[in-house]
Amino acid sequence: MRALATVGTTKFDTLITEVLSPRTLNALKARGYTTLSVQCGNSDFIYAPSVAKGETATLILEGVSVELWKFKSSLYEEYDKAELIISHAGAGTIIEILRLPKPLIVVPNPTLLHNHQQELAQALEAQGYLKSSTIEDLARSIQQFTTDTVVPFPAFDGSKFKQLLDEEMGFI
Amino acid sequence: MIEPETRMNAPNPITSIAVTLLLALCSYRLYVVLKRRPCLYLEGSSPPTRSLAVFLGSGGHTSEALHLLSSLDFTRYTPRRYIVSEGDHLSAQKAIALEQAKYSSHESPKSGHEYIIITIPRARRVHQSLFSTPLSTLWSLLACIYYLTIEPAFSLRTQTKMLTDVLILNGPGTCTTLCIAVIFNRFLGLPSPRVIYVESFARVHSLSASGRLLRPLVDRFIVQWPQLLQYGKRGDYVGWLI
Repeated sequence: MRALATVGTTKFDTLITEVLSPRTLNALKARGYTTLSVQCGNSDFIYAPSVAKGETATLILEGVSVELWKFKSSLYEEYDKAELIISHAGAGTIIEILRLPKPLIVVPNPTLLHNHQQELAQALEAQGYLKSSTIEDLARSIQQFTTDTVVPFPAFDGSKFKQLLDEEMGFI
Repeated sequence: MIEPETRMNAPNPITSIAVTLLLALCSYRLYVVLKRRPCLYLEGSSPPTRSLAVFLGSGGHTSEALHLLSSLDFTRYTPRRYIVSEGDHLSAQKAIALEQAKYSSHESPKSGHEYIIITIPRARRVHQSLFSTPLSTLWSLLACIYYLTIEPAFSLRTQTKMLTDVLILNGPGTCTTLCIAVIFNRFLGLPSPRVIYVESFARVHSLSASGRLLRPLVDRFIVQWPQLLQYGKRGDYVGWLI
């Protein structure tokens, strides 16, 4: 099985470092994941120099085969191949992944201003759409996360805004 | 006419009275334009189309704004103006992509395929020093007043002469200058668009800075989490919009 970790284009050093740590890799292995793909964005971490020029690095860590790259213009192919996605808590990325749908663990970036990422992650977790975790808890979250309790995320419904604006502008 | 007396050192009582009166009139005018919330100029017969403007604030703001637009009937909302910040080519490209997708989807026949992209200076760049922010905000405001007030008033460009009927905002900072330009229009008694602010899906318990600033000023304030309307705070919640 394959897992994917992504921080989009952001810089989230601690998440990438944690994802590649022995405890997280062992947690993934224990759940049957043999391959981990990582989009590290602009993060600074031990292997950052080997992907700085846009190349994909392949290595074996803790018996898990790891693919690393900085940025791909579209992640849909990678999302599609993965059975579990670990992501930063950007709203756009969350919606994109939950609508695929794919099981999702998000880790809000604690260094961001006012930390509204965490608000969103916790609100969505409370409704059962995803698992919200922290750097410290990531390995445990991977061990405990079960996809059968995940609530399907609603599809995009443009009719609400359309109706609101049509009413406001006198069409209805 | 009362001429302000500037040569005297002590303030002339007539000047003081004139200034007080002027201030009182301005405050009253501001009170009137800000109070005016119910649909006023929409009464009467409904014209077949409305012109629309939307601010694309880059990144997540752009993607949410274009999601909102994607559901609209483009034959009703025409022409469309996409307002982007200087240097934000990605937002402009995404707007063009939406227009092309709508155009090829048969939903929007040729008559509804009219749009332009307008660029305005940023009110504040990321990491810009607080010291220089007032200047760039003023510059941005002047550009907004140009597009929303001067250009429509004097029909400077034929393809943009019609003032927009509705302006959709969803942050960040630069969108507040657009709203202030709209209030400026109302202050002068010029026609102005209705302003609709949609707070980001990412805002669950606390509003963004532009949301806090614009909540009392816009015609409709829409949030995507009901928690934001607790304690009778102004706004509407109709569910998730993206």
